[in-house]
Amino acid sequence: MKLKQLLVAIGALAVLPFAQSAVAHEGVALKHAAVNLEDQAQIRRGLTVFTDVCMGCHSATYITYKGLMDYPELGLNRAQVDELRGEHALTEGLRTDLSAEDAKDSYGKVPPDLSLIVAARHGGPNYVYSILTGFEHDPDGRVPDGNFNEYFPGHRIAMPDPLSWLDHEEGDTAQLEQDAQDVAAFLAFVSDPHQNQRHAIGKWVLGFLLLLTLVLWRLKVEIWKDVKH
Amino acid sequence: MLNTIMKSKVFGWVDRRTGAEAIIKSQLTEYPAPKNLNYMWNFGSLALLVLVLQILTGIFLAMYYKPSAAATYGHYTVAFDSVERIMRDVNFGWLLRYMHAVGASAFFVVVYMHIGRGLYYGSYKEPRELLWIIGVVILLIMQGAAFFGYLLPWGQMSFWGATVITNLFGALPVIGEYLQQLLRGGFAVGDPTLNRFFSLHYLFPLLLVAIVGGHVHALHVVHSNNPEGIDLTKDEEKIMFHPYYTIKDAFGVAVFLLFYCYFVFFNPQAWGFFIEVDNYVPANSLATPSHIAPVWYLTPWYTILRSFPDKLVGVLAMGGSLAILFALPFLDRSKVRSARYRPVFKQMVILFFIDVIVLGYCGHTPPTPTLKLVGQIATFYYFAFFFLLLIVPKFEKTKPVPEGI
Amino acid sequence: MTEQANESRRNFLYLAAGGLGGVAAAATAVPFIGSMFPAADTLAASKTEFDVSTVAPGQLVVILWQGKPVFITHRTPELLKEVDGHDDMLKDKDSKAIPEVEQPWMNTPERRKYRSIKPEYLVISAICTHLGCIPGYKPSAGRKEWGDAVPENWPGGWQCPCHGSLYDISARVINGSPAPFNLHALPYEYLTDTKVVIG
Repeated sequence: MKLKQLLVAIGALAVLPFAQSAVAHEGVALKHAAVNLEDQAQIRRGLTVFTDVCMGCHSATYITYKGLMDYPELGLNRAQVDELRGEHALTEGLRTDLSAEDAKDSYGKVPPDLSLIVAARHGGPNYVYSILTGFEHDPDGRVPDGNFNEYFPGHRIAMPDPLSWLDHEEGDTAQLEQDAQDVAAFLAFVSDPHQNQRHAIGKWVLGFLLLLTLVLWRLKVEIWKDVKH
Repeated sequence: MLNTIMKSKVFGWVDRRTGAEAIIKSQLTEYPAPKNLNYMWNFGSLALLVLVLQILTGIFLAMYYKPSAAATYGHYTVAFDSVERIMRDVNFGWLLRYMHAVGASAFFVVVYMHIGRGLYYGSYKEPRELLWIIGVVILLIMQGAAFFGYLLPWGQMSFWGATVITNLFGALPVIGEYLQQLLRGGFAVGDPTLNRFFSLHYLFPLLLVAIVGGHVHALHVVHSNNPEGIDLTKDEEKIMFHPYYTIKDAFGVAVFLLFYCYFVFFNPQAWGFFIEVDNYVPANSLATPSHIAPVWYLTPWYTILRSFPDKLVGVLAMGGSLAILFALPFLDRSKVRSARYRPVFKQMVILFFIDVIVLGYCGHTPPTPTLKLVGQIATFYYFAFFFLLLIVPKFEKTKPVPEGI
Repeated sequence: MTEQANESRRNFLYLAAGGLGGVAAAATAVPFIGSMFPAADTLAASKTEFDVSTVAPGQLVVILWQGKPVFITHRTPELLKEVDGHDDMLKDKDSKAIPEVEQPWMNTPERRKYRSIKPEYLVISAICTHLGCIPGYKPSAGRKEWGDAVPENWPGGWQCPCHGSLYDISARVINGSPAPFNLHALPYEYLTDTKVVIG
């Protein structure tokens, strides 16, 4: 077997593990969220959902009020941020007023900080979107001491239905779906705020490297003409 | 350009006091190398490049990273916060962090290819046994540095990976418990562990610089092997390193950078292989993640560890699988070096490469009874490969080796 | 292909490779050196906000801006009168000696004399221009308690405990003091009627 064939075989084998990423690592395939991190309107809508709904229990401590102004993906002005932050300083992160003890009493566990939730779960924004729209009624009591969620691993989630997905009117479905996708977009942005900048720089870097590779390849071929090989 | 520098007055002044010109000419520009080296010989220079990148990015990251497990908000800690600060607030901090994380994996990809070249073409055989041994030392120090470095973000995988691996040392009889406490600086992985792992993580790559220097020196004494595995006696079989291999290596660097920068800029987590999903969750000493596995480049040895029901035997087997690498030059007594001319060895070594990939796959994926069995078979072949080498030369009909190139 | 064409192609490729390599090296240096400049959160701390209405008349407050001390004094009408009448005692009555003692907002004679945007609230550096101690606040009111420690004709202001430098109630340095300059003026502005942002 030639070395080249060998390398191809190894490469083929190495692809195996990648198939795992599409699923929510315990079986159920996630719904796909329409998230566009270059869409400032979507990210802002997601911020509104977050501050109106999620911040009742969850923090996102790594995004500060000042960050809401400084990042172009949000780009709020001083007045808008002052309205959101109340007495909190500009340099403070977005933190919930719900104390850990009260949370434990009400829900059994402390709601996790959401700054990195999109990076910390397989499926990222798809996971967030699926969870928020995955609440189901549980008449058979399969999950007696929790809330039944189609997409949460184990199906028993401590968080009660935050967007009121259960029993929503049919006419509201589109709006609720959009709210869930928008907040998924906001959280996807928060978990890696420089990703748009990174992609933009990356295009230039790869383009440059292609050019450099081409030049060095031709130079190598050219000078190796001197060698009988 | 090098020529202009070397002709300058300043360089002359330095050269008279250091002998720099003679060194540069004999070790770099006019250093004789075989003319038939293929692209598998590029990985050594690539490994050096990645080492330099890791040290540079590491030093600049260390200007902001704080090795403290003190709690800040919720489950977050000073260390975890400092990494997030690097990602969000430090100018280009995100780039330094991703370069360092991708670089760690890139280092192992490049080094494994480099070792694979050595295995296939018999670069470990006489007179290059010590060169190979120094290389194994480099591999071990790399694994140590990677292990120490992985704890630093203080995520779930960091904490629990370190807990599991430091637990292993506890399996050793008599000294195990003391060794464990020595490593951890306490009874469990905690703040003392983090601080000392940071210190060691900074130290090991600098040790590597020295040892790589020794590796290159040892190489330059015996000179490079070549794909045919034969000793080159004629002058026309060799060419000067500059410009032929400097430019060829530069081309290799450019190709490598294409892959590297793709990952850094467009896929730094690499689907969870380079930065694991669970490590974005801050460390929680009361909750183990559902699936603990080391980073991909340590998974083959993890499988070997888990293939044995007895904990101590597993630890010894894992250590043995690394120790046996030292013995390779002395186990394989065939006079023919390159697999091109050793039909039996060729099949064995290709199977060995596949075996290591299988071991890695078993170590990374959540265990099932089938996977466990596959891992055990793969572990068996891993060791069998080395012991078989003792008897292979006795019956292997090697193909006639060419006189020259 | 002729020797010459080969040679010129070779030279071109060497030049191109060298040039691109140089660009790559320079571009790589940018994030490393760039990362050493102050991070975003450090820059956020480069501005400090303060509500001057929290300072009682006659009171002095010391806050930190960029890690350095700043005086905020609420000068009463009596204290404001003390600004005049001793110009011959001042080393630098118009705050022109060095760039650091004046600011763009000192664009009227009144602002230059009072060394503040609103006369009642003085916002000034608290670092003595001699060797860096924080001067003690000794406004004219209450000078009876100071006894013989201060010169007779000094109208009051600040006295530095380290080497005895004296400043008037607009933080202008008095003749004979070891300190060479007035206390440095700061870049600040009013966001609202009572909220200033320094920096």
